Parts: sequence; structure tokens; C-alpha cells
Amino acid sequence: MRKLALALLALAFTAGAMAQVQVRWFVGLGAGSDVPVIPIQEEFVANFNASQDDIELILEIVDNDQAYDVLATQIAAGNPPDIVGPVGIRGRNAFPGIFADLTPYIEANDYDLSDFDPALVEVYNVEGEGQIGIPFAVFPSFLTYNKTLFDEAGLPYPPHEYGAPYTTWEGETVPWDLAAMRDLGMMLTFDANGFDATEPEFDINNVVQWGFGEQWTDLRGRLTKFGAGTFVDENGDAVIPEHWATGVQWLHDAMWVDGWIPNAPYAGSDFLSGGDYTSSGNVAMTHTHLWYHGCCIGGLQDEWDLAAMPTGLTGVPVAKLHGDTFGIVNASENQAEAFQVLMAMFEPANMLTLSDIYGGMPARESLAGEYIETYGATNFPDRDVDWSVVTASLGYADSPSHEGPLPAFRDAEQLYIAFDQRLNNEADFDVPTELALLQAELQLLFDSVR
Amino acid sequence: MEMLEAVQGARKTKRGGWRTLTRAEKREARWGYAFIGLWIVGFLTFYFLPMAASLAFSFFDFELTNPGDAQFIGFENWRKLLFEDPRVWQALRVTFTFAFISLPIGMVSALFLAVLLNSEHLIGKSLFRTLFYAPTMVPVIAGVLIWQGFLNPTTGWLNQIIELVTGFDAAGPNGIRWLNDPSIIYLSYVMIGFWAIGNAILYNLASLQGVPSELYEAAKIDGATWFRRLWSITLPMISPIIFYNLILSIFGLMQYFEIPYVLNTGTGEPDGTTYFYIIHFYRQTFQNLDMGYGSAIAWLLYIIAITITGVLFATANRWVYYAGGNR
Repeated sequence: MRKLALALLALAFTAGAMAQVQVRWFVGLGAGSDVPVIPIQEEFVANFNASQDDIELILEIVDNDQAYDVLATQIAAGNPPDIVGPVGIRGRNAFPGIFADLTPYIEANDYDLSDFDPALVEVYNVEGEGQIGIPFAVFPSFLTYNKTLFDEAGLPYPPHEYGAPYTTWEGETVPWDLAAMRDLGMMLTFDANGFDATEPEFDINNVVQWGFGEQWTDLRGRLTKFGAGTFVDENGDAVIPEHWATGVQWLHDAMWVDGWIPNAPYAGSDFLSGGDYTSSGNVAMTHTHLWYHGCCIGGLQDEWDLAAMPTGLTGVPVAKLHGDTFGIVNASENQAEAFQVLMAMFEPANMLTLSDIYGGMPARESLAGEYIETYGATNFPDRDVDWSVVTASLGYADSPSHEGPLPAFRDAEQLYIAFDQRLNNEADFDVPTELALLQAELQLLFDSVR
Repeated sequence: MEMLEAVQGARKTKRGGWRTLTRAEKREARWGYAFIGLWIVGFLTFYFLPMAASLAFSFFDFELTNPGDAQFIGFENWRKLLFEDPRVWQALRVTFTFAFISLPIGMVSALFLAVLLNSEHLIGKSLFRTLFYAPTMVPVIAGVLIWQGFLNPTTGWLNQIIELVTGFDAAGPNGIRWLNDPSIIYLSYVMIGFWAIGNAILYNLASLQGVPSELYEAAKIDGATWFRRLWSITLPMISPIIFYNLILSIFGLMQYFEIPYVLNTGTGEPDGTTYFYIIHFYRQTFQNLDMGYGSAIAWLLYIIAITITGVLFATANRWVYYAGGNR
């Protein structure tokens, strides 16, 4: 009798377990695969599984280096995960068409999106694919400036508020725009003999400190400070926005004529930390995203603070934005259950915890203030940093996004990367001619996939 | 080959038919199959089946992220490969141009260094052999990154040394751009290739040490010079290893990937000179996720490699010396 009872109990347990739908959560395309943050995700999974009996959430963490190949192979083998994320816009572009439209699930669950910036929600509404994500963590960008270098040069700091003017060392008040940034950057650029870039004795071949640098971004990212834009117009034709064309020439002059932005030979050198300008301590102003401060600025011993992006050529400042979300895979057979998991992830407490380990600001507007208040105290308790710049920058996100889709994305990307390499490497780069060539090459490519 | 013929002959009856194996022979055969069985399973699973699958994929419009939408398109991928995609021919041209420059330099250098390291007059042989082989143990990517720093126009040691020694204005943003000047990019890649020359030196060295010393002694007695001994004894005797190194080098060059991918991010810059064939394959297959077209690209490379190998093997009996006439 006792054996029979035990057998029935085991059978009931097995049946219960079998009734659970397994939802696989794939982590690795963006943040989340670093060892220190794994236990927190595991804790979320354990809590979720303990909170209900219908779904068993299974966490699959793959190292970022292999994640793209592993995910592609899983999909090709007919063994896709159900949820993928956190994934940025760039990661999403690497897998066009694999994410499901969440609209039916948002509607079926009457999911409230009012706490999210509509513009941010729209970023994930992709033509032909639908609402493939809801913003989860955002990474605004801004200027990070090295106060120590400013103090050494005796120059006033750039403004922290968007729209505020800049007061020069002579006491003059000027608009904080690209011209003001150039003037300031030139005075913060020094050669080995101590001449700054405004002096005739300045030796551009022997620079040891620069006024400005933009690290770890591509050409589209660098051009956003001149104004948001894209290489494709509404008709699917290749286009070089006028402010971008001007911006490319501006960049080339800054690198090769004035020398206040590092060109490629300098950028790859050891004293610029192989491209990590901010941490090198040899660049006075850098354009960085919030994720950089979470991962990488710890090596900089100098004093630093944050400032507003200058006004671009379109008359408004642009602070490009990175964002992470979670997608449900089209091929998943458990999309409804996967959406239940997403709703749990997006609950305020869980979003706060998870976005923190991913190094981003929660995309819920109600959480952003609380998050940024504790961010500095938690991560940089010994530094006096104006973190309000981060939330203010969110209001100047680039639209269209610098990571937005392009026809034949990978090939188009290679074309402008090659263009950028030459821009950064060649002093005699003929910008107008090369831009015309780039546009023609992009047009050929776009036509080939129409 | 003679052994095989002997075995096959032994299994034939006087009438020319196949005779039944004895129990001992059967047992021996079973053991033989048992020993190679695991390899055969591995070969079928990890080589033959994927190759056969990739050949099949080359006739499909097959994107990795949408396997359910795969469609049979006949020779469409092959037509695009051979007649429509100009980057294929550009990539092949780049690959073979670099091979024609790099291959002779690499082969001759490896042989030259092996001869030096085998010299009875060399003091500290073990030290030099270790030094030449040591870079081979450094991971390729790490080595390439070290070279990237070494060749940096502004801060790289090479330009600094050139400037120091010659007084020529080599360092600085306008200095010698080893990795961004189309006219010297292959020279830079050949230099980087020396990093991994240790294996070829090792094979040559081992082969040199296998040349019977009595041949040299007899030649010396006959008054042969050092060069004559090298030409008439050393090179013929180690020609199988030279042949082996040649085959490996050609295959290595046809799969040349890591260096251009790391140093020039696979864009082909400067001026398309680093757009190697495998870069094109990688971009189409693993970036565009177009498995069908990528498979066709891979098979074209396979056909080219098989053809070159066939030509080399067909001509090998004219210049490769096998003691006893056996290959």
C-alpha cells in the first residue's frame, strides 16, 4: 500500500513536471555573460520558477564571442531558444527577421506601455517585422571630460545642462556647439614640446594629448553629433545627409589638419590605450555611453565628470542612444509563455535589478530617476559626478538611430567601415570624391537587394 | 602500394577469383576494422556528412536564420558565384597574388634557416632552435596584435628603429603605414608570417637530420663543394618534406584569414588588397548568414585546392625523390 502511494505520488509529480512548459532564455548577444552577473540572472530564474507552476524557465548563457554562432546554429538546427536577450539594436540587426511581433501578446495581456517613452518603444517597431521588443535598458551618451586635464590647461569645464552656453577662459559666453568644442579641444591638445594646437609651433606629428575623441563606435555613431541621420532614404536609395557630408570633412580636418582628434595611427598606440581614449588619461573630452562607465572607466585615475553634447549642425544637440531589449524568437513554439516571462522581467523590481547588472538605465521612466540617483553612490562613491547629465541626455536620443537597419546590412556596414578606415588613416583623403564613391557603392548594393 | 598488391594477390585464387579468408585472417581483419572504426565514424560524422551537406546547401537558397524557408534553386548560387559576384574574382586575385609573393619567400626562408640550424659550425643550436620555434606557441591572434603594435606608424618600434638608424622621417602619422599602404601591405603580411615559420623549419630540420651522413662523406671525398652537396644530396633527399611543406603552405594561404581579419577587420582595406577569398566566404556565410551561397564559395575553393594538389602530385615524380621509389 505504501509502495502504491509512493508510486502514485511520483506519477503525479512527473505529470506535473511534464505539464510545465519549458521556456529557454538565451543570454550572450549583449551583456549578461560575464561571470559576476550570472548568479543574479540565476536568482531571477529561480524566483520565477518558484512563483508559478506552469512555466519552467531555463537560462542558457553563452560567451559573447560565440553567442552569434551558437544562436544561428540553434535556429538552423530547429532548436531555437524562446527568449533572446539582452540584445542591442546592433545584435538585433545581425539576425533580421528572427524575432516575433509582440503586438498580439501586448494586446492579449493588455500590457501597459505608458511608463515607457513612446519614441523608445517606436525604435523597436520595425517595418515588416512589427513590435519586436519593448525597451528594457537604455544607455544614453554624453561627454565625459577629464577635469584634471582641464585644470592643468586652466580652462573652464563644458556645460552640464543642454542648451546652456559655454563660458570661455576669457569670460566670453558662447553657444555650446561644435565650433565652441573645436576651439576648446584645440586648446586642450598638446604636442611633446608643450605647444597647444592653436599655436603655430604645434607639431601635429608629435601629439601627446588630445582635446576630443570618440571611442568604440563606427562612422554612423561618430556622425550623430552633427545631427541624426542615415545612409538610406525613404525610397530605399543611398543618401549622404548634407550635415553628415560636412561632418566627415570636419572630422578629417580635426584629425589631419588641426590634430585635436586622434587619427588612426595615434588611436592604435599604447599611450591611447589602443583606442580606450578615456581611460588613457590623454584625451580631455570623450563621447561615451553609460555602459562604458559601468565596465571600463575604473582605470582612469584622474578626476572626471559628465557634460552635455554640443549642438550639432542641424541646430540641436544629439546624444546617440544604445538600448537593450529581450526578443521572442519567431520559431519558438512557446511564445505566449515566453511573453509571461518577459512580463516578469519587466516588472519594476526585476527591471531595476537586471538593468543594473547589464550596466544600463531602466527604460521605465518611473525608475530612471531612482536608478541614476543610486548609480553614482553605488558605483563611484568617492567621485563627485553630475549624473543628471545621463537622464538629460535621454531627451536628445538620435532618431533615426545610428544603429538602425540598412538594406543588405552587413555588406553596407563593411562599405562604410572601409570608408571610415581610410578617413582615419589617410592624410590626403579626398572627402567629397570618396563620399560620392561611397554613395554610389551603397546605391549599387541597395539596388542589388531590392 | 606493393604491400597492398601483395595482400590483394594473396587473396586471389589461381583462377583470378576471390578466395575465402581463413579464420585467422578474418580475426585479423576484424581487429583492423575495430582499430580504424572509430576514425571512420569520426570521418563520416564530422567531415564527410558536413561536406556532403554543404554541397547540397550550395543548390539551395538557405539562410541560417530561416532554415524553414530554404528553397531549391538549382545552380543559381553557382551562377552568381562564377558570373555575377565580382568580389569572388577580386578575392581570388588577392589570394593568389599574395600566395605568389609569400610562398617562395616562406619556403626558401624556412629551408635556409633549417640548413643554418643544422650546421655543425653553429654554436648554441638548441637555443636558436628554441627561439625560432617559440613564436609558434604564441596564439595567432595574440601574435597578430603584437605585430599591430610593432607596425604602428606613430608609436611602433619598427618605424622608430628605421628613423633612428636611417634618419628617414619614418615615424608619425605620416610615417610608413605598414598596414594601410597598398604598395607594402603584402610585405607587412609576409613579415608577420615569419612569426609562424617555426613549424616549417622544424619539419625541414628533422628531414635534414635524416639524410645519411655517409652520402656527404662520400661527396666530400669526391671533392664536392658545400653548394654542390646541398644541391645534389640535401635537396633531393629532403624533397618529400619540401613537397609536404609546399602542400601545407598552399592550403594555408588559400585559407588565409586571421591576419587580414584582425588587422584590417575584413574590409579589404587598403584598397581591396586584403580582401582574401576566405574573408569573402566568412562575410557571406557567417555575417550575411547566407549558407547556400557560402557553401558554393567553399566548394569552389575546394575544387581549386584539389586541382592544384592534383597537378602537384602529378608532377611530383619529376622532382620529389622517394628512397626505393615509394611514395
